[in-house]
Amino acid sequence: MSSNVKYHLSVSSCFARMAIQRQLEYPSFLVSWLLMIPIQYFAGILMLKVIVEKFQALNGWTFPQLAFVYGLGLLSHGLMVVLFIQSWNIGGMVRHGEFDRMLLRPANVFFQFAVMHINFIGLIDLIPGVIIFLYGCDLAGFHLGPINIIKLLLVVVGGALIRGAFFIITGSIAFWTKSSESLVGFSLNLMQRSAMYPLSIYPYIIQMVLTFIIPFGFICFYPACDFLGQNDRIMLPLDFVGWTPLVGGAMFVLANKLFNMGLKNYESSGS
Amino acid sequence: MMAIIEVNELVKEFKVKKKKKGLRGAILNLFYAEKMIVRAVDNISFDIKQGEIVGYIGPNGAGKSTTVKMMSGILHPTSGSVMIDGISPQSNRKKVVAQLGVVFGQRTQLYWDLRLGESFELLKRIYNIDHKTYKKNLDLMDKVLKINTIINRPVRQLSLGQRMRGDLAAAMLHSPKILFLDEPTIGLDIEAKHSVRNFIRQINRELGITVILTTHDLDDVQQLCNRLIVINDGKKIEDGPLDILIDKMAPYRLLVVDMNEENTDFSHEAAQIIKTEGQRVWYRFEKNKITASQLISELSKKYAIKDISVEEPDIEEAIREIYKLTYCRL
Repeated sequence: MSSNVKYHLSVSSCFARMAIQRQLEYPSFLVSWLLMIPIQYFAGILMLKVIVEKFQALNGWTFPQLAFVYGLGLLSHGLMVVLFIQSWNIGGMVRHGEFDRMLLRPANVFFQFAVMHINFIGLIDLIPGVIIFLYGCDLAGFHLGPINIIKLLLVVVGGALIRGAFFIITGSIAFWTKSSESLVGFSLNLMQRSAMYPLSIYPYIIQMVLTFIIPFGFICFYPACDFLGQNDRIMLPLDFVGWTPLVGGAMFVLANKLFNMGLKNYESSGS
Repeated sequence: MMAIIEVNELVKEFKVKKKKKGLRGAILNLFYAEKMIVRAVDNISFDIKQGEIVGYIGPNGAGKSTTVKMMSGILHPTSGSVMIDGISPQSNRKKVVAQLGVVFGQRTQLYWDLRLGESFELLKRIYNIDHKTYKKNLDLMDKVLKINTIINRPVRQLSLGQRMRGDLAAAMLHSPKILFLDEPTIGLDIEAKHSVRNFIRQINRELGITVILTTHDLDDVQQLCNRLIVINDGKKIEDGPLDILIDKMAPYRLLVVDMNEENTDFSHEAAQIIKTEGQRVWYRFEKNKITASQLISELSKKYAIKDISVEEPDIEEAIREIYKLTYCRL
């Protein structure tokens, strides 16, 4: 058992090291992202501030609380971009026969796929994420004690798992259809809209869908309710932050199953 | 000796959509696309014994790569089976691929932006190669492929020949028993081809590794393979030693004679004159009907001869004959 764990750690750390080395080969490329991404998200939070201050609080959610949710969402988004960005390209990998090489190696293909890439650029997503989140904590009076930090880590990791698993699930459709690129944009938008704003601004039916069918509510809305003591939502025993990593884990298992089913259907490419 | 590879009635079918042409066709395709089933590999069987070097040849699109992909567990057969050392790559992929080295000439497994050694380091971990074996294999690869001269260079800066040396070495690090080489000499210059062939000969002779080689380069076949399997249109057409195949497909030889006299008729009943040029005459004869020495002695009795040479049949011609035959059958 422990040699098995050691093996997987050794392989994934080697993949990670090589991915970082590869990206550092082209440092000027990083600079453009470093400018672009923070601007995008700071503009997003500024918009929110303008809307709430000029008009009204969103269904009882004040700007400090909204900033907290928005920042929390960015944290798990950033972590997902670091770990699982390769899931955006499953369609391309299927069409170009890039799973051939993984199938030729004596390791689980899903494991190889999951650890094949560490995206350095995702760390840049985390910069505005951390700043906006700390700002939200400060405004909302959320105290970052040791227990809260552990809870937050669970929520961020669980949220990143939910996001990554969803991209793997939609991406795996490419094993049958050969293309799934359009679903990537759709998923990204859906996540952005449903994870970064309070679920309670949506109609009841959509809240149900985003809780039980596509469980994006667990990425940051439900844990934020718990953290901030907000009760404006579907009343379920859901305010325990432990739900987020549980749902994330379950979705990841599901993604793994679907990926493996798709892989059986894999047809490689030309020559 | 037991067969290390057993391929039994292997079939692979692909579903392809028949696309109509033009914009109108493209729109129609959205609603209704006729599906066609294409048999890329059609009922192929063969056994390969340990230590053989087998050339697997056929024209483009004959099904060579598809067969190799089924033998290495990438594709699942529609029907039939593959056994590698008694194990099916479809049911126990990890165990089988640990015994295989696979090189695709058209696609590298090396990391483009990193030094060659980094790719080796990753393979060491993925294949769980212990340090001693890794070191031993790297030393061997340095002996055979001079890998140490390029190991610290980024892969993107390597020439095609150097990159192929890197890929071959990468496939050998985990001491595989079987090597699948899919067009390993494609696009290489003479020197690089030479070193690839040298590598194949050496690892086969010294380590007893079984090699299956697909190629379009008949020099590869001539210099390396004791056995050829020819496929076309997904079907196996020929299987046997190279010289027997040539005898069968190209039984003719050429005798070129420089005569020392003027004559209009140099004919001989067992040979056919295919060309005359001044006093030089080309005879074509079937070697099962008359031997070269017999023909020469008979000719020299009739005519004054200055010089003589015998031309061996061309393997290229033999292979072309094989391909041509199957085109006629289609």
